[in-house]
Amino acid sequence: MTPSDSTAVLCTGIRKHFGEDDARVEVLRGVDYTVRRGELSFLVGPSGCGKTTLISVIAGLLETSSGEVSLFGNPLARMPHPERVLFRRSHLGFVFQQYNLLQALTAAENAAIPLLAAGVRRREAVDRAAALLDRLGLGSKTGSYPRQLSGGQQQRVALARALVHEPRLIICDEPTAALDHATGEAVMELLASAAVHPDRAVIVVTHDSRVFHFADVIARMDDGHITHVEPGQRTVANPHPGSSRNSHPSA
Amino acid sequence: MNWVGLQMLRNDRAKFAAMIVAVSLAVFLMQNQAAILATMLSMTAAQIRDVQDADLWVTEPDVECFDQVKPMRDIQLLRVRGVAGIAWAAPLLKIDAIGRSEGGRLNTVTLLGIDDASLAGLPQKMRVGRADAIRELDTAIIDPGGHELFFPGEPFRAGRSVRIRNRRLRIVGVSDIAAPFTGLPMLHTSRSTAAAFNLGEQHMTSFILARSAPGSRPEALCQKINTLGGLRARTTEQFAADAMWFYGSQGVPMLFMVTITIGLIVGAAITGQTFLMFIKENARPISMLKVVGTTDRQLGTMILLQGAVVLALGSCFGSGIAAAVCNVIRTQPFLRSLYLPWEIALGTCFALASVTGIALYASFRHVRGLEPAAVFR
Repeated sequence: MTPSDSTAVLCTGIRKHFGEDDARVEVLRGVDYTVRRGELSFLVGPSGCGKTTLISVIAGLLETSSGEVSLFGNPLARMPHPERVLFRRSHLGFVFQQYNLLQALTAAENAAIPLLAAGVRRREAVDRAAALLDRLGLGSKTGSYPRQLSGGQQQRVALARALVHEPRLIICDEPTAALDHATGEAVMELLASAAVHPDRAVIVVTHDSRVFHFADVIARMDDGHITHVEPGQRTVANPHPGSSRNSHPSA
Repeated sequence: MNWVGLQMLRNDRAKFAAMIVAVSLAVFLMQNQAAILATMLSMTAAQIRDVQDADLWVTEPDVECFDQVKPMRDIQLLRVRGVAGIAWAAPLLKIDAIGRSEGGRLNTVTLLGIDDASLAGLPQKMRVGRADAIRELDTAIIDPGGHELFFPGEPFRAGRSVRIRNRRLRIVGVSDIAAPFTGLPMLHTSRSTAAAFNLGEQHMTSFILARSAPGSRPEALCQKINTLGGLRARTTEQFAADAMWFYGSQGVPMLFMVTITIGLIVGAAITGQTFLMFIKENARPISMLKVVGTTDRQLGTMILLQGAVVLALGSCFGSGIAAAVCNVIRTQPFLRSLYLPWEIALGTCFALASVTGIALYASFRHVRGLEPAAVFR
């Protein structure tokens, strides 16, 4: 598999194991996975199949045992650790299942964290985050603390945190798992509308089949492999939504 | 990001408060005990340092401190006066006796007989009356602690009397000298008056106070006097240091050091343990920060700042309490010399910061070792 300009994420032959000898567990067993720019890719599969390990590897949070990960043409293996941290800070955004908002900070301050980490002045960072929250429908909640927000609102703050620094890849880990159906649907709607961008890719790890219809591509994993890649309902319903959604090689 | 760290610290109010209380109490305990020790040691030299008009003390060779008295022959005074570079030399007579107030209160007193002619060694500061009033026969000035012992609860005033060996000594003033280590009332009187109480003693000189002439080095004069034989001369500070060493080497400082060390260990342990707990309980948010690209250096600075804030606030509170307690205690006449040297205040804070620094380092190591991918679990 060779990268092209439209490739956002290219995983080739990824293997990952934990432990050694008798305790050795093979979690990823030669994963090939591609996500294109402008694509909303769902990574689905049963618990323990390696989804979370795969996104950790893609994010550069875990080293591969073998194989190569390339993000926007940049092979992660060739980046020293500090450079990888800075790359992650600039180009990646994250949405977590448990939101992981800091209870000490307001919604706007939480959303501003990636900017603060990048050295943007606090006032400017919070203002930019507040403006984004406003666009995501939380304009009246920018000064609220996480404990004052509902689950759906907290996840929208987490989404703002993932978007505020305009990353090129957003990785979402079970973003709707802690939400009821209607709220999950609303969050996914927001994610699909706000995060998807011709120059940006979004990977969503989920169990929640009720939201599969948001996907451009669905990659199914089992036992450390990608077993099947299929176009999502959005691609079928709208064959030309982005630059290359209907030209996925696996699909 | 430092601001984020401070917000996290502020948000965990229970641990934040626990750490500040632990640092405050440790700092207070260490400063309080160290201040008492320093004060006690300085009190052993207080009567030496109180004499500001002389810069040399001459004693019998075996004398180690102010409380050891070995009378000297009067000829020794003349020998000292004969040393080139000595501007003047005067005798000081020290006697311990039993005194009784008008109200019948008995106390052992220290009677200091000042040279009638020169009044060398007279207290420089007075609370009531004039020091030179002791020129009159059978008069004395008393220190505040002595006044409290003889006339408890009464305001300082002149005109009272103390009877010593069936002789009435009229109090003409209250001095403002440092509290003596012995805690005994300190009565300054003229040497001629004191001599009348020195029954059975042939020699009327306990110490020789001397002043170096302009252009003469006190240390060099001490050497000259020591070569005369039968005498031991020291500068005021040398004699004070000898006195402090004499008492300090008798084990009391060890007792204080035990308490100070316990304060240091307990304070640092509670602070360090709580801080480490704070960091461990915030492992998930910190992992999230690592995931979104916060560098180890940023996290290290954040932890250092959190620790510095805890230590600074705790040290300020602890030092403030120690200073306040010190000020309250020193209103007591006997404990009026209690003081908290800035060196002790700074040193205790630094010591606690150094030991707590180990916990901060352990916390940083823990943070460095955090697996950011754990945030997905």
